[in-house]
Amino acid sequence: MDSLRNSIKRLNPLSASDSDFLESMPFWLPATALVLLFVYGAIGWNVIISFTGWSGLGQPDYTNFTLEMYRQMPSDPDFMASLRNTIALLVAFTGVSLVVGLGLALLVDRKIRFESTFRTIYLLPMALSFVVTAIFWSWMYASNGLINTTLSGLGLGWLAHDWLGDPRFKLAAVIFALVWQFSGYCMIVYLAGLRSIPNDHYEAARIDGASTLTLYRRIIIPQLRSSTVGATVVLMVFALKAFDFIYVMFGTNPGRSVDILAVTMYREAFSSSEWAYGAAIAVVLFALALTIIGPYAYTQYKRGAL
Amino acid sequence: MADLQLDDVTKVFVEDDGNEITAVDEVSLAIDDGEFLVLVGPSGCGKSTTLRMVAGLETVSDGAIRLGGSVINDAKPAERDIAMVFQSYALYPHMTVRENMSFGLEESTSMPDDEIASTVEDAATMLGIDDLLERKPDDLSGGQQQRVALGRAIVRDPEVFLLDEPLSNLDAKLRAQMRTELQRLQEDLGVATIYVTHDQTEAMTMADKIAILNDGQLQQVGTPLECYHEPANLFVASFIGEPSMNFFDVSRDGETLVHDDFTYELTSAVASELGDHDELVLGIRPEDIELRSTQDDTHSYETFVDVVEPMGNENNVYLTFDADSTETFVATIDGLNHVEDGQSVIAHVPEDAIHIFDRASGSALRNRTLDTQAMPEPQL
Repeated sequence: MDSLRNSIKRLNPLSASDSDFLESMPFWLPATALVLLFVYGAIGWNVIISFTGWSGLGQPDYTNFTLEMYRQMPSDPDFMASLRNTIALLVAFTGVSLVVGLGLALLVDRKIRFESTFRTIYLLPMALSFVVTAIFWSWMYASNGLINTTLSGLGLGWLAHDWLGDPRFKLAAVIFALVWQFSGYCMIVYLAGLRSIPNDHYEAARIDGASTLTLYRRIIIPQLRSSTVGATVVLMVFALKAFDFIYVMFGTNPGRSVDILAVTMYREAFSSSEWAYGAAIAVVLFALALTIIGPYAYTQYKRGAL
Repeated sequence: MADLQLDDVTKVFVEDDGNEITAVDEVSLAIDDGEFLVLVGPSGCGKSTTLRMVAGLETVSDGAIRLGGSVINDAKPAERDIAMVFQSYALYPHMTVRENMSFGLEESTSMPDDEIASTVEDAATMLGIDDLLERKPDDLSGGQQQRVALGRAIVRDPEVFLLDEPLSNLDAKLRAQMRTELQRLQEDLGVATIYVTHDQTEAMTMADKIAILNDGQLQQVGTPLECYHEPANLFVASFIGEPSMNFFDVSRDGETLVHDDFTYELTSAVASELGDHDELVLGIRPEDIELRSTQDDTHSYETFVDVVEPMGNENNVYLTFDADSTETFVATIDGLNHVEDGQSVIAHVPEDAIHIFDRASGSALRNRTLDTQAMPEPQL
């Protein structure tokens, strides 16, 4: 039966695929319709709201669309601060996580003992939710928390700071905690990349006279390019979504030094009832996510990987 | 002065549970300058380990490897003046052909860039890959990748080439073509070469000298023809040659070899070579068995054709002594000689072509007599 259907498909691909499309509809249509409505519909509605001036109680006015919300962004110091923080978090968190993850992967890949134990230890933080790690790190960073206590215990009391209160350290503290949580993920991605490099390449490089440093710099790390790109995209998307971590740690008003777009969006919409402005910030966030995912998705599509 | 010498080289691997496995057992070999040595044996016989010890990719457990007189056991791979071609080619996928070929020169020599470029281009021209220099390995066919891997070795201008089953990833036609090409290249370059393969055809056709390994032990070293016609033992006799030599377990009764299905009379000259060994193996190459229609001599036996494999130029005829038996032996006859399945034929086993081995030790007691003739130069 199948072979008959296949041969019909070969003879007349158009009608066969049409009938496949119709036949399979009951299976995919309900889910697709729900996704279209609640994901893409909601995004669309959000975009529309951002063009209205909706704020406070009452209904949005769909008769008069303006770009006012977007126009006021550059002059809003809160927005600009959170945009800066978002980008700083994005770049620093992604960069440091990749470097730490690569370092861990190179170490774990050196045929060490208890390799799988180390792998699990490093990967475990990834399995925890942001809420858990945010509370955990608030304790760590507290003025009498583990970090400060350890520092003073070691006679390094002058290094102890109010990590979550001092605007100079807040963002760095958040980035450090996030790096702790995600470098294990980078390690796994890099480890998979390293494992896919055949042993012959290491040996050929040794015969070619490459030092260990050159081996990694010129032969191994360049071959981890696709691992890096994949991990980067995932990390950046997580950085944009770091809302829950900051929200749990600082609440809706973390202060300008650590405010990020996601928190500003939430605060404008749900604390200040500036619905349209919140929606406009959401659109900016969405555009940022698209600029990260878009090129990746496009190159993957070009390579036939999607 | 590049003669490479292996003196009682041994490699012992220690497993996690403390078990010791001897992969290479006191192998001694010598390769002269410009010589093409083929290390051949079944998988797991230690041939690749031997090569990797020469390359410096495995440590030597015992014995010495000498290159040009000095021991190189502890030298780093890059310091050994060797170049290796891997079975998988091991081309760096993110580098162009040019970068792949120059990498070794950049890392191991202080050669200036323009000299590296011209060396690489010369080698590429010699291999016919000069128009591929800017391509990446993934864009090349298997044969082209093979050439790049060779080119990468050639530019190093080493004292010794090490080739680890370099042709095994190519299709049959290309493999035969690359075989001749490699041979020609090696002759032109005049560099001592160790070539590892499990394919006895490659060993026979390419080697100046074959070294046959089994279970980590060297079985025989000799020219291809020596190994073929004068095998040192049963293993060599069975490994070299396709289809492989026929063996019959026989016992000796005076000057007669007794098999379950036949007896074979020896002349006293041959019998005297056997010493006091009684449990023997009689060997005969398929092409030495003649098929006849009349039984006119003591070394002829009535047999039945079980299966015929026509190869075109020759037929492999599988014969049995008994029409119902499944124990066959094979004779190779001219491709134009027609025989049918089930037909009865007379197989003649000439005494000057037989090999006799001691069954217990496997060592050869008598090999066939050789009467090789040189092809006369044409008188023009």
